[in-house]
Amino acid sequence: MGHLILRRLLLMVVMLIGLMAIVFAISNIAPGDPARLAAGPDATNEMVEALRIERGLDRPIYVRFGIYLSNLASGDLGTSLLTRRPVLADIARYFPATFELVLFSIGIAIVLGVPLGMLGAVFHNRFADHSIRFVAVSGVALPMFWLGLMLQWYLALKLDLFPLGGRLGIMTPRPEAITGMLTVDTLLAGDFKTFREAIWYMVLPATALSLPALASIIRVNRAEMLETLNKDYILNARAQGIGPFRVVAAYALKNAILPTLAMIGLRFGWMLGGTVLVEGVFDYPGVGLYATKAAVSSDFDPIIAVTLVLGASFMLVNLLIDLTYALLDPRVRSQI
Amino acid sequence: MTITRRIANTLIAGAVILSAGLVVLPHQRAMAAEQVDGQLYMVIGGRQEVSNLDPAQKYDLAIRMMNQALYDALVKYEGDPAEIKPWLAENWTTSDDGLTWTFNLAKNARFHDGSPVNAEAVVYSYERTMAINEGPAWMLDGFVSPGNVKAVDEYTVEFKLEKPYAAFLSFLPWWYIVNPAVVEANAKDGDMGKGYLLSNAAGSGPYKLKSFEPGTAYILERNTDYWKGFPYENDRMGGVIYRLIRESSAQRAALIKGEADIVTGLSPEDWSVIRSNEDISVTTIPSLTSFGLKMNTAQGITSDVNIRKALAHAFDYDAFIKIMNGEAKLQSSPFTDSVLGHVEVSDMPRRDIAKAKEYLAKTEHPDGGFEIEFVYVEGFGIQRQMGLSMVDSFQDINVSVKMVPLTWPNMVARGSSPETSPNLMAIFTTPVSTDPDAVAIQYHPTSHGKYYGTHFLNDPELNAMIEAGRAETDWEKRKPIYAAIQQKITDLQPEIFGMMRNRGTTKRTWVKGYADSPIRMEGEIDFYRVHLQP
Repeated sequence: MGHLILRRLLLMVVMLIGLMAIVFAISNIAPGDPARLAAGPDATNEMVEALRIERGLDRPIYVRFGIYLSNLASGDLGTSLLTRRPVLADIARYFPATFELVLFSIGIAIVLGVPLGMLGAVFHNRFADHSIRFVAVSGVALPMFWLGLMLQWYLALKLDLFPLGGRLGIMTPRPEAITGMLTVDTLLAGDFKTFREAIWYMVLPATALSLPALASIIRVNRAEMLETLNKDYILNARAQGIGPFRVVAAYALKNAILPTLAMIGLRFGWMLGGTVLVEGVFDYPGVGLYATKAAVSSDFDPIIAVTLVLGASFMLVNLLIDLTYALLDPRVRSQI
Repeated sequence: MTITRRIANTLIAGAVILSAGLVVLPHQRAMAAEQVDGQLYMVIGGRQEVSNLDPAQKYDLAIRMMNQALYDALVKYEGDPAEIKPWLAENWTTSDDGLTWTFNLAKNARFHDGSPVNAEAVVYSYERTMAINEGPAWMLDGFVSPGNVKAVDEYTVEFKLEKPYAAFLSFLPWWYIVNPAVVEANAKDGDMGKGYLLSNAAGSGPYKLKSFEPGTAYILERNTDYWKGFPYENDRMGGVIYRLIRESSAQRAALIKGEADIVTGLSPEDWSVIRSNEDISVTTIPSLTSFGLKMNTAQGITSDVNIRKALAHAFDYDAFIKIMNGEAKLQSSPFTDSVLGHVEVSDMPRRDIAKAKEYLAKTEHPDGGFEIEFVYVEGFGIQRQMGLSMVDSFQDINVSVKMVPLTWPNMVARGSSPETSPNLMAIFTTPVSTDPDAVAIQYHPTSHGKYYGTHFLNDPELNAMIEAGRAETDWEKRKPIYAAIQQKITDLQPEIFGMMRNRGTTKRTWVKGYADSPIRMEGEIDFYRVHLQP
């Protein structure tokens, strides 16, 4: 097991370097003049040139890549042209917010999706199944952005049940930033009131964000359950008089959950990259908005850094999922 | 089917518990404004992040809004039309040759730490901005050098210009005075306090910085000891919160719900919807911003002035007004109405197909039959509609339009050289001063490659007129120069002169003292006079 993890981690480093090279090349080859954009619309040509030289943008791309790598090795992710702050500080501020939101959303998707998928399979082609399939199809078809707007309009404005946006009330004192994730930080500080507020602020964006994942999880889990429930060993279990709940929830689910796990891993990655729309609607200060802003300003350092961080978290989550596979499936375990 | 029923019951119970959990979460009531200890905090919902607080590093609408609240300058723009008013400088004199400007400072002005805003602080701030050479530094570039700003005595500052510069005073409102002691105490590795002032303030303005949370909200506290006092009496006015609300639907919702007192960035369509709410009012003024379609006069088919004239006469100007829901006015000159010295140019092109064909007949393409590339900002509805209207109207002279949406960085990149600058490019331009030079200079070679200089116009006669206009300091002599410049630019037709949009600020009726000034950018609010009276 330890061997596997080590090998996968090493592979991850290689993959990240590749990812970085690609993003570096794309963002540097794409047209755009970052120095002019950063210097401001009225800046004189001398001011633009001064900034270009200061940021090393006048040098050839391979030299810049070399400099970037050596800076990276010493933990320096560069400086944003836009915010003029170190990228590392910006990411430390924005990434935990997104990560927290995505965790919460994937949590919702799993907690609702797995049981609903099971229900769909058990009530195959009956009313419950059709209703669940309706949810699954809508989840794929409805744009997250639109759903977010509707939730905001109805639940926040009309019914006044939830806030319009943000992570916490503006005047709510922030907990000391330890992880940057408000729910964790408030718990560490023992501040349950702010903890509840943070959850309350996350409900709408997380609901909008989780629907596509929820739909995929339902569909995959339902299909797998259908197949598993027809297997001989299930029939055998039933014949032995094992309780029906146990048959479905323990015997069948354990086999059917593996492809769902793979789907959760994929969806997690998509969510990390896809939060920007939801962040925009709910003014959730996350890494998606930060990266988009950087991208439309040709602000390279943040773009590369965000890609790296998102890529690394995606890979880590998939590693976790593979390990869970091994825990659940003795066949996989024996191969390690 | 007991198996399934039991599973179903379990799941339904789970779902009920989960939703019950959500409902008992805390519930906050909408209120007039944020309140802290009985003090009212006015919430402003805007789109643009405040990326920097240092007045010497950068400026955009959000930065300028914060700077104007936290700092003071020698003079300040106020009102509609925008006027330059004495501020830290109580009065000033100019020498006959226009080279020496002497400013007498208000003696009671104090920084937030209580120290006086004196001549030394003014000199320090100007030298700092010039040394950093970013942000507003270009405004005085070539006219004032470090060392030419001197403290004559404790409260007198003297500027020695290298050559006369008529627009000099009109730029000074953007040169904010920083507290030298605070900046020096926080400077690191000779950065002149750049790192510190990114997210801290060292000013003397009507507001103090309370907290700064990038990407979310920026909280300012009213400086009750402000040296100039406030134009209203309201002890409950505690401060201002600039909160980022990016989507217009969310802005509208925040305003209706009372989570925001003012929102900036709603469209004319939103105004008409929101006006029906009696707690909300919309203030609109024509802005200084012009929207035009710049043509590449140096290369390509539009380098022929007759082609440019033909396009300008085939263009459907009414479409502008329609697209803007009636909230716009056509430009009657290359200068928008609020620019000093604006005159109505008599032969401003309007749609006239016969005339357009006349011009076309003078070119190598008397019957049209060519394609024009129109570049606009990707995803910008107004500009796209403009393009579609052009596709339609240019058909009448047998010219087709290729619509090319680009991101802003790509547009800036394409517009930076005459070889790549497209035939037509949709551009909004907001000058930073009301002086006519700020607009005239856009048609001078020094502007080539900037986003408003993508026309690459280089007409020796016009260049000489622009240079004469900025060197002359007597307004009575400048006035006719600018009238002639407006006519000349119209004749050269480096762009299809478009419209001035009305811009609106939507706010709750309990917001008092609000006044927009055309010199401010759209969404930039001067907090000095605004307050809440619920």
